[in-house]
Amino acid sequence: MTIKMKRLSFGSGYRAPAWREPLSKAEITGYAFILPCMVLMVVVFGIPAFAAIANSFTPIWSEVKTFTFANYLRLQQDKQFWESLRVTLIFVAGSVALHLALGLGVALALNIDVPGKWLFRIIAILPWTVPDVITGIVWRYMYDPTAGIINYFLDRIGGPNPYIEWLGRPHFALPSVIIADVWRGYPFVMLILLAGLQAIPQELYEAARVDGATAWQEFRHITIPGLSRMFMIALALDTIWQFRRFGLVYNMTQGGPGNATEILPLAIYNQYFKFFNFEYASAMAVVLAVIMLIISIPYIRLVAGRTE
Amino acid sequence: MKALRWMMLTAVLLAIVAACAPAPTPTPTPQPVVTLRYSNWHLAEAHWEKTIKAAIPLFEKENPNIKVSLEVVSYAEKEAKYATEIQAGAGPDLIHLAGYSIRNFVESGYLYDITPFVNKEPPGFLDQWYPHLVDLFKYQGKLYGLPSDYMAMILAYNKKLFQEVGLDPNKPPKTWDEFLTYAKKLTRDRKGSGKIDAWGFGTVGAIDPGWELRFSPVLLSHGATYLTPDNKCSALNTPEAKEAFKFWVGLVTDAKVVPPGVTTQGAGAVRTQFANELIAMKIGSGWTAPILPTINKDFNIAENLGAAPMPVKAGKTLAKTTTAWYSGWMINKNTKYPEQAWKLLKWLTSKESDQRWFDGARVLSARRDVSGDPEKGIKPYQAIADDKFAQVISAELKNAQINPQLKEWPQIADTVNKEVQNAFTGNKTADAALKDAHDRINIILAPYRKAGETCPSY
Repeated sequence: MTIKMKRLSFGSGYRAPAWREPLSKAEITGYAFILPCMVLMVVVFGIPAFAAIANSFTPIWSEVKTFTFANYLRLQQDKQFWESLRVTLIFVAGSVALHLALGLGVALALNIDVPGKWLFRIIAILPWTVPDVITGIVWRYMYDPTAGIINYFLDRIGGPNPYIEWLGRPHFALPSVIIADVWRGYPFVMLILLAGLQAIPQELYEAARVDGATAWQEFRHITIPGLSRMFMIALALDTIWQFRRFGLVYNMTQGGPGNATEILPLAIYNQYFKFFNFEYASAMAVVLAVIMLIISIPYIRLVAGRTE
Repeated sequence: MKALRWMMLTAVLLAIVAACAPAPTPTPTPQPVVTLRYSNWHLAEAHWEKTIKAAIPLFEKENPNIKVSLEVVSYAEKEAKYATEIQAGAGPDLIHLAGYSIRNFVESGYLYDITPFVNKEPPGFLDQWYPHLVDLFKYQGKLYGLPSDYMAMILAYNKKLFQEVGLDPNKPPKTWDEFLTYAKKLTRDRKGSGKIDAWGFGTVGAIDPGWELRFSPVLLSHGATYLTPDNKCSALNTPEAKEAFKFWVGLVTDAKVVPPGVTTQGAGAVRTQFANELIAMKIGSGWTAPILPTINKDFNIAENLGAAPMPVKAGKTLAKTTTAWYSGWMINKNTKYPEQAWKLLKWLTSKESDQRWFDGARVLSARRDVSGDPEKGIKPYQAIADDKFAQVISAELKNAQINPQLKEWPQIADTVNKEVQNAFTGNKTADAALKDAHDRINIILAPYRKAGETCPSY
């Protein structure tokens, strides 16, 4: 933090541009520490990203690697791409909203001082430990119309239709996938918000009680403002994660029925690995990356602002 | 001095004896043992795994300098796995692919050119396979693999369930009209649960590479095809295609003879339904018989499993009424041991091996000297001739057509698969779904058409 403040300070009087100043010993040490990480980032993320961008400007299935915008022009006209984008936005908005709502509710419950609360916390975190591929398979079986446990219970309590096709009907499929994802994904948000709750000074609540504040007033005027930063971090991180979701949807529906649950990562996978349209898939991936970069700006600003 | 003379004489004598002695046999330089990576989705199936694991040691015994490392891969993921590994300069030495994606690999440059090896084989080496199958592995004058399995899709049915509703188990449906009548009769409350719990027919409806094999026979047996003969346009706008599509969709939406949730049912799920007697009929092939007891050990194949040619549209005489499944073995272009890989490929597709695969897994071969060729007077392997289920598959090969062999085929199949789902779920009418499939296929095939060349509209 010291290093950053020194570089960013704009005091009175002229200062030579930062890059002209010789690096101090502490700065060199600092850069040396982050160098391995930077090299790793360039190798693992930078080179593939650059390759994908270059690939996206190359003609599809062509032995001659010329420069073209054809893949992006095709994207613009591809109804399935726009449908996938629409499905992705609904999936992200729905799952993130429910992650936050459920995550906040559970975090508030787990913040109450009761005997054995550590056990409840472990139970609440458990879904997050299940890989999303496994979650997808398990929920697919649970949703099975003839042999699934959900229809079994509905039938036992006298439901009207013994064979509800949770994943087999377009208007049910996406909400069903979102519910499965919420089960698996809410603990991530819950952990962030629980950490935020525990960081709110108890003195504020005590002072409020002395002043005769109700529980709702405490929540409205202490908890919510105290959690706002953590809430924004959870929102930004979860949104980015949800745009990248793949394994769960792939194992539940493969994007079907029709294109009802075909989120963009799945559409990219199909173009790349099923159809071998590498260049077109790269163009789709670049568009997704741009969307995610735009979404991550508030998060970066939030984190950067906190550092400064 | 005398002693020195004796010593010299002894040395000379020893030299003479040594010279007369037979030359020592040179110790052979040990050949390095190489390990080939063999990848096959069949290893995920118990009966196949047993058969392959029993066979590979025979190859290793014949070729002591080659070890084979068996690698299992899932059927649905194999293309993604191989493509990723091969692009990274790695991957198994030998890969097994189904017809669905073979052209993709052949035209992507992922495979080793085996033409030089084949040219060194005795004349007529390739004549042992059905020629049209060998052609599927050729690209720009080079050969990139050899075919292995080759089977026609047929109708599998449960004789016991037929008898339960008063149908003659020895008279399976011959036309689609009969099929529908049978299916309706077989859809019922079998267990007295107060709801439908047994259905006449089950099929793959999920987005699945196996989907095309089940829908294609319906299309063909109505006299329709996916594409025009030049493979430049969709042929789904013909009256025959419309009729086939509506019939197929109607099984789910109108007749309701298929269990709920068809759009989520993959091949494994349908086999489970069949093995557990939830459905009475399904479209299958050689793999059906051995896999059923692995799902339900009480399923009596000998007594209850029936096989019949695919039903056809009444009143039509058609050359092709079903589709053919085929697969092949290929060598990864990145292999470090092409000579050894060729030896294994040749062994895997040999007559003896293909007979072994039939004995263990009931799959018919792409070799004429195993599956037989009546036109050439070649008799099939005796075990095939003696197997009632295999006889139907073998006899149907003459009526079977291979799906279009284009690198765009997975995309075309996926398009129709999704539109069938849209029609199954009522998201679109059958007509609207077929029109959308037709239009999208024409977009996919646009690179094959010259400027100004258009396709007939729906």
